[in-house]
Amino acid sequence: MLWIDAVGGYRLCLADEVLLGQPQEPDSRAGMRVDIPILADLGSRHALIRRDGENYLIEALSNARGVREVRVDGRPVRAVHWLADGSRIELGEGVRLVFRRPHPLSATARLELASHHRTEPPCGAVLLWAETCVLGPQARSHVVCPDWLQAVVLSRQGKELFCHTSGRLEIDGVCLREQGPLEPNSRVSGEGFAFSLEPLG
Amino acid sequence: MQPDSHNTSDPSDAAEAGKADPRAAGTGGAGPGLAGPRGAGPFLYPSGSRPLEGYTLKRGVGQGGFGEIYYATSDAGKEVALKLVRRNLDVELRGIRVCLNLKHPNLLDLYDIRQDAHGDTWVVMEYVAGDCLENVLAVHPGGLPSSEVLTWIHGIGAGLAYLHDRGIVHRDLKPGNVFSDEGIVKIGDYGLSKFISCSRRSGHTESIGTVHYMAPEVATGRYGKEIDIYALGVMLYEMLTGRVPFDGESVGEVLMKHLTARPDVSMLAEPYRSIVARALEKDPERRFRTVREMLATLPAIPGAALPFAPLPLGEAPATTMLRMVPDPGVRARPLDAAVGPLRSSLSQAVHKVFPPGEEPIARGVRALGRKFRAAWSERNLLGKILLLIPVVLLAPAAIYLFIPLTLAYLFYRFVRMLVLTPDPGPGGGPPTAVRAVPPAIAPSARPPTDTRPAIPAIVLSARDRFTELVGSLLAAAVIALVMSAVMIIIVIRGYQHHAALAPEQFAWVALVGILGAWGVLLLEKLWENRLEEAVLRRFILMVFGLGLGLAAWAVAETLLVDLPREPGIPSPASPARVPPSFYADGRPHPMAYMAVFGTLLALLRWWRQADRVRDSRLRLWSLAVSCLAALVVAGFWDFPQPWLVMVAGVMSASVQLASPWVPPRARLRPQRKMMV
Repeated sequence: MLWIDAVGGYRLCLADEVLLGQPQEPDSRAGMRVDIPILADLGSRHALIRRDGENYLIEALSNARGVREVRVDGRPVRAVHWLADGSRIELGEGVRLVFRRPHPLSATARLELASHHRTEPPCGAVLLWAETCVLGPQARSHVVCPDWLQAVVLSRQGKELFCHTSGRLEIDGVCLREQGPLEPNSRVSGEGFAFSLEPLG
Repeated sequence: MQPDSHNTSDPSDAAEAGKADPRAAGTGGAGPGLAGPRGAGPFLYPSGSRPLEGYTLKRGVGQGGFGEIYYATSDAGKEVALKLVRRNLDVELRGIRVCLNLKHPNLLDLYDIRQDAHGDTWVVMEYVAGDCLENVLAVHPGGLPSSEVLTWIHGIGAGLAYLHDRGIVHRDLKPGNVFSDEGIVKIGDYGLSKFISCSRRSGHTESIGTVHYMAPEVATGRYGKEIDIYALGVMLYEMLTGRVPFDGESVGEVLMKHLTARPDVSMLAEPYRSIVARALEKDPERRFRTVREMLATLPAIPGAALPFAPLPLGEAPATTMLRMVPDPGVRARPLDAAVGPLRSSLSQAVHKVFPPGEEPIARGVRALGRKFRAAWSERNLLGKILLLIPVVLLAPAAIYLFIPLTLAYLFYRFVRMLVLTPDPGPGGGPPTAVRAVPPAIAPSARPPTDTRPAIPAIVLSARDRFTELVGSLLAAAVIALVMSAVMIIIVIRGYQHHAALAPEQFAWVALVGILGAWGVLLLEKLWENRLEEAVLRRFILMVFGLGLGLAAWAVAETLLVDLPREPGIPSPASPARVPPSFYADGRPHPMAYMAVFGTLLALLRWWRQADRVRDSRLRLWSLAVSCLAALVVAGFWDFPQPWLVMVAGVMSASVQLASPWVPPRARLRPQRKMMV
């Protein structure tokens, strides 16, 4: 999770494939863990969002009784469907998500819950982190932080996480200039901003 | 206060707390426009800290006047909001215990109050993921739509009524403390300010609450639940218009305005106008006695069965679209002031069909006008001239269309006013309690109102006002003379037909202009202290105009002035056939004079040009509007053309330049002088 002071909490998904569905008991039968648990009337494995290079697909999964209900922009999804910036995804009855790709240069996407449902644990939005994730005051940031003075970019290469910004920043108490490595539970602060990472499960 | 460092390795926080910490500065959240969830400076505790047993902080949510609020989860996963109260010194837990056990759908749940190892006090309360009203207002600069306003107000009112019933005064009611939780309105921070202020009574001069919502009597220390009603009125005003009624550049300035200035409610439609006016009375006795009384005067939430039941908003406020044009519920309708009980039954029926305040044509025209004015104010002098050229060029052609359109529109407005008059609000339009001395000039039947010594008022003794009036009359005469000369030279020279200007014409314009300006100034002086309805003022102006017309005719006859028609200026035959008795041999009869002047005076809001607290001393826009209106009126009544325009121009200019005007900076001085 990404906890940004005075802005919100966001769920960071690093995998290329994320599973959406109902929250699972931790000791249920082994299998794919739900990456985006939504507290709603959904199947335990409802849909899959896959990142393929620069593009995103959504796939409706099926269980014994047939294919799950997934609609994109009103049209039902038989197997897979492309996702574009602004696509409105509907899962089951009434769970509405909006898929956004605000930054033209980054493959990272943001999933927002438009209906009143919440993820479990609750978050402001889900960030499907490709390689870079931009936090800042501009509208094209993945997380818009209106009061920040400059943008902060979180980047990753494989399992390694980094943080860049213009100006100084402190990561876990270490003063750095402009960039530094991140741990899954780091706290980062700088001029006018502060946020923390918290590993989930 | 240093944060704990035992759970997360953050010695950096110590360094950060050592930086200039704006939160701890004196007024903190009381700075105008700065109070609210977005404070300056970092949060004290990082994510993951556990200052309280059983809770883990996840992130900071906001910083207010009293401390910081964090989003946290309990060990079991229950999400809560933890408020760190940093500035209490003598904690009196007994005093707030009563607030802990309050339960109401419109009140934010308080779960517990705990103390951490450092002795800081934390309030554990319900976490609301929705936006606070302050954020919603920031997204709607022109005000919220009426249905949303009503939902918020009824929700806040219901919670507030519950508190008042139990003898608890909120004291810090403001948009930053009101939230929308999936459509349910919730008030937070109740009882906390009392809790805090108890411990700071020892001479601390910091004012509690954000000043924009603070009732005037709070400064005196003697107040009760009426301050919440005042704050509710301010919030209602802000929701409807998008801005607070009293604003300023410093805390002191805003406080002064709360004490002495009248709120400008002219842009609100009924019933909101009278409700806000009454809620914002300076004298707490004159406000609504209870919140329920105030809510009863408001329209119910559209579609609601019970006006007091909290009902969810249709959509979470955060998703409402940004509105560029202000909501029609707020349009100014001076003709539609409350008229009489005769119409109330019909209007109630029509009320349901036509929402009050909607006037699409006026709204469209006003939007156009506003755009023009924005463009006007942005340009410098050259730009203004450039902007004027097309207007001047188009003016003659526009007259042909303008008059029949205006006629039709006026008729439409008249019928509309008759049909749609809303109910007069309770105690609508009483004279404000601001003036301590009833003016001697005005034939006022009001008993002396203000007996509370704590409230200073704008006091201009009767003698001062008389002096002022005489001064402005003299100034107006002089200015009118000058202006007439200027006008005549401009207009006559502009048309080669009359190379030489006859002195009688100049005299006529000057005299009539002087009389007109005097009349407006006198009337404005009489009206200065009162909250007359616009219709009444226009009526009086019209009567004055009739008299002025008669006088103008008399002057013309006496001086043997010939007012020839200027063939250069078009004077279209008006569709309403002017009765032949008006004119003989092309020279207008007294009836024509009276009709013309009566219409001109009634058409414009002349009193605004003489208002003491108008935006600037001379507004070219008002001048232009006066001249244009005169052009239209003269065309309509087939009056010889450039003369009325000149008179109107002279009147407008003289009134504006001669009437007393206080520049915004100096507006505090008279009060201070009186308070000493």
